[in-house]
Amino acid sequence: MAGSTDVARSAELLRATGLSKEYVTQKGPSILAVDDVTLTLGDGEFVSVVGPSGCGKTTLLKMFSGVVTPSRGEIMHRGTRVRGPRAGTGVVFQSPVLFPWLSVFDNVMLPVKILRLARGAYEARARELLTLVGLARFAEKYPHELSGGMQQRVAIARGLIHNPDLLLMDEPFAALDALSRERLNLELQRIWLDQRKTVFFITHSIPEAVLLSDRVIVMSRRPGRLIAEFDVPFARPRDLDVMSTIPFGKISAQLRHLLQQDDDA
Amino acid sequence: MRNRIASVAPLIASVIVGLLAWQLIVTLFHLPSYVLPSPASVWVALVAGLTGDPFARGSYWYQLWYTVEATVLGFVIGSTIGFILAAAMAESRLAERFLMPYVAGLQSLPKVAIAPLFVIWFGFQLWSQVAMAATLTLFPVLMSTLQGLTTTPHERLELLTTLKSSRWQQFRYAKLPGALPLIFAGLNLGIVYALLGAIVSEFLGAQRGMGVIMTQLQSVSDTAGVFAGLVVLAVTGYVMIAIVRFAHRRIVFWDRDTRLTSVE
Repeated sequence: MAGSTDVARSAELLRATGLSKEYVTQKGPSILAVDDVTLTLGDGEFVSVVGPSGCGKTTLLKMFSGVVTPSRGEIMHRGTRVRGPRAGTGVVFQSPVLFPWLSVFDNVMLPVKILRLARGAYEARARELLTLVGLARFAEKYPHELSGGMQQRVAIARGLIHNPDLLLMDEPFAALDALSRERLNLELQRIWLDQRKTVFFITHSIPEAVLLSDRVIVMSRRPGRLIAEFDVPFARPRDLDVMSTIPFGKISAQLRHLLQQDDDA
Repeated sequence: MRNRIASVAPLIASVIVGLLAWQLIVTLFHLPSYVLPSPASVWVALVAGLTGDPFARGSYWYQLWYTVEATVLGFVIGSTIGFILAAAMAESRLAERFLMPYVAGLQSLPKVAIAPLFVIWFGFQLWSQVAMAATLTLFPVLMSTLQGLTTTPHERLELLTTLKSSRWQQFRYAKLPGALPLIFAGLNLGIVYALLGAIVSEFLGAQRGMGVIMTQLQSVSDTAGVFAGLVVLAVTGYVMIAIVRFAHRRIVFWDRDTRLTSVE
């Protein structure tokens, strides 16, 4: 474990212990996607996971969201065992997954509808979130009238509307061009500083992970295990210039070496 | 405006050339009017059939009203049943297994061949025509609705699952609206088939309807009258399709395919 700092960790939000997921295939042996992962997410912490494709990151995220049931181990949310989806989770996928027949505003409000919350109580929050992601003027537009980056911002607002304590993001910016991606990275930081939700963030991009996170976790090739964990000490708000500093380069290099070693093994 | 003229001009030219060629063939080969009537005599028959007393048996309006009634009733009943069956098959494995043999069996059957049975069951009455129209409407609507309801993008359902959605909510908020473009594709076919079913059933036995009057005109070798009847049916079919397309564009406003085709 490298780069440990003394950032005072606040109360824990989610604790996974000995988490494994085995997929049974129709013929042949079963696939061990996630192997014995033990991990704690602090309240309000931004944690990224990097690792090779197919290393079980997404499976781990799905177990956190309650969509996938672990084969072994358990997940505790503030001391209560997680069995299935919770109302307190927001999810953002790689693609925006907006509903084309709903306006931007109604897309953001969809979780409120599905969770049967009082619509009136969340309308103001929806407007605030749309302002926060810079789309206040687009509330009445429809998804096909928006660019890919704008659609993904709507998805982030939707992920936050029901005031979840945990936001799960599965490579949310992977489909965007480099410039939009950097801009959205900074925007996500701003949103996170504003909302202070716990974020569990999957990415392939090492700079993205280091820029955004309090802590970066490295997963191995399948079966996915945790092989390293880095604390990222830079003060916030961070700008893109931090990426050209020596400490940033050091952490990135260490992460890259770890991933390469795993590649060669 | 210029563009509009440019796009309409070839259409008009095509109609004029077609009519002239038709007239030319009739005069050149001295064809008797019971084989191929001239465009002019078809026009005369059409005007006569449309301008007379609309409640007289010889009026196309009188006959057409009956055919339209049978078509619309059959379309509504057939597409409703088709939708309900498709929803049941999409949502329940048991329903799918139970219904599939019938659907598969009836699909390959030329369904107009059932028409004589409907005459036995319903007689020469409106319901005989309605049943045929409904039967022909049912299958395209069922198949396309089933396809639409079972091809919901996985991520939309997963998103709703993370929000503790019920099965009804998944149906109501993801599957059904997502299926609408395909449902309308089925309805588009369905309305054409409904009219076809009504006419075929009228040929076979009915008191009234375009199919009836066209058979009568044929028996007295009034070929111009038969042609005029075809014109009436073509326009009727066109109007019906236009209504379904209009509803399609209005309801499935987000569907880019329809927006593109709406330019036509």
